[in-house]
Amino acid sequence: MAGGTPDDGAFWTITSYLIAGLGFWGGCGFAADHFLKTGYWTLIGLLLGMGTGFYLIWIRFIRDDLNKPDPRLKK
Amino acid sequence: MAQPGFVPPSSSDFFYNPSFGSSIVATKPVMLLLFSVIIITAFFTLSARKSAVVPSRLQFAGEAVYGFVRNGIGQDVIGEEFQRFTPFLFAIFTFILTNNLFGVVPFMQFPTMSHIGFPVSITIFVYIVYHWVAIKKKGLGRYLKEMCFMPGVPKPIYIILAPVEFLTYFAVRPLTLAMRLFGNMFAGHLLLLLFTLGGEYMLKSAAFVKAFAVLSFGLAIGLSFFEMGIEALQAYIFTLLAALYIAGALADEH
Repeated sequence: MAGGTPDDGAFWTITSYLIAGLGFWGGCGFAADHFLKTGYWTLIGLLLGMGTGFYLIWIRFIRDDLNKPDPRLKK
Repeated sequence: MAQPGFVPPSSSDFFYNPSFGSSIVATKPVMLLLFSVIIITAFFTLSARKSAVVPSRLQFAGEAVYGFVRNGIGQDVIGEEFQRFTPFLFAIFTFILTNNLFGVVPFMQFPTMSHIGFPVSITIFVYIVYHWVAIKKKGLGRYLKEMCFMPGVPKPIYIILAPVEFLTYFAVRPLTLAMRLFGNMFAGHLLLLLFTLGGEYMLKSAAFVKAFAVLSFGLAIGLSFFEMGIEALQAYIFTLLAALYIAGALADEH
């Protein structure tokens, strides 16, 4: 389990992004496969969702952190 | 000599029959919940009643808990507007902490939060508060715009990013908040049940197995202390994340 440090907020923000990215775009891909009777959209969706999650994490924790301190990252 | 097989604890061990009557609200978790409210109210009323400059031991304990939430969580995370949210955070923290610690208190030995309905109810409050605070401060349109459209990203990318951001704020955050508390309490209680019931079963078995029962009971006791730490930690993390979400809602931009 994650420790009780204030970094816990960051830890769960990252997890949330990954879950949301995979869930949303993976879900879209799955729906596309289901309705189009194809078999590759789920994979594309999952990869896209993963990329989106990492991209959002990068924006929030690396790019924005260099310019100005995010209040959620202060501690 | 056929021994009845060991029946491992399962989720059915978490459901109690009503303590009296047949109403669903008369079960052990609900009783513990009500009891926790009484304990918390009594403790903080007593500790604050005779406020003295030189605090008594009880007052000191009460103020220590309050100060921890106010300064350690409220002020550090939310910033200048923290005073408005301190009562809310304090209520969440003490409520969850007390109910979690019931898991290791002898004769109670059931963490109320291992029933998912309770964490979900608290999460609903947090959910309403952090969205309400943001909508009140920024207006719905600006809130959604700031949420979904981070500055400095090429425009076409927003088609991919915006739904994920939206889902994070409206679905994943409350889900993880409730599931984490529930999961930790559920798993912890199950673990204690396993070692206690396992030890009991081994005591009834053949002689050479009996020796291992000591080990099992010893582990159950050790894990109880470990659980105590987890229970306090989970109350802290829940409150911390609630504060973080409120802070995020109050922040002018991402």
